Amino acid sequence: MAQKVSVWTSNRFWRRSATWITGVASVLLILLTFDSMAQMKMGTAEDIAKKIDKRIPSPLVINYTIEYKLDPYRGHEIPIIGGEMQRKEGGIKSAYEKKEKFFGRDDYTEEEARALIHKGKLTIQAKNCMDCHTLLGNGAYYAPDLTKAWLDPTWETLAPAFNGKEYAMAAFLQDPPKMAMHERKMPNLGITEEEAKAVVAYLKFMSAIDTNGFPRNFGKIKGAVDARK
Amino acid sequence: MFEPCRDVVCSFWSYLNQGPMTLTIFLHTLIVLPMIWIYFDEKKRLERGDIPNE
Repeated sequence: MAQKVSVWTSNRFWRRSATWITGVASVLLILLTFDSMAQMKMGTAEDIAKKIDKRIPSPLVINYTIEYKLDPYRGHEIPIIGGEMQRKEGGIKSAYEKKEKFFGRDDYTEEEARALIHKGKLTIQAKNCMDCHTLLGNGAYYAPDLTKAWLDPTWETLAPAFNGKEYAMAAFLQDPPKMAMHERKMPNLGITEEEAKAVVAYLKFMSAIDTNGFPRNFGKIKGAVDARK
Repeated sequence: MFEPCRDVVCSFWSYLNQGPMTLTIFLHTLIVLPMIWIYFDEKKRLERGDIPNE
């Protein structure tokens, strides 16, 4: 008859299990890192020309209209760049056709757009926006989430007075206390006109990044954004 | 359970992560099944008595 044994109190069993789990988890993490790197690769002008969706689109999206609409196929809201079209499999996707003027132009080259967005990113880092705001899930929730700030309906209401919402956003950034629209007033950070323009370009570009529907219902919940209404 | 990939950029991982079931089955296959095998392997060895006391 077999000897009565206790595997659960055996050191060897737990050691072998732990070694196996650690090994599998390490390999999984390495593979997932490579997958993330592929997912984070920025799209190109060619992708836009061929209407290929990328999670992070080409900087050229600042030449196009950007909306945030529910896609029944994906099951959440997605950025719609340059108007919508029907997806083969169902639902809607970006058409990359409808352009709009951004600071008077809709013909930024990929290099120009990339340089502008890069300057915006540097400004956002230099001014420590994340001390109060959230960008793509990182940062604080003292001030409004900036991930889809470009699509905040407040700017639509201000647009006519400034001849376009990009001008309204740039004016706000250059002197936030003057245009305060929240009880928690944003301080004047000494952002120059050029920097403000670049930050607005970055915000527009960021709103075109596919964040799997985050933040959900952005711009539709009264009081969450759009405090002026 | 097995649905077409609905991610923006599809990959092996996006198929797996579409719902809790696929991910659960995948991780159980990789981690839990081998542990069950390790359990019975260790049990066999202990019963044979070929493992020295630690």
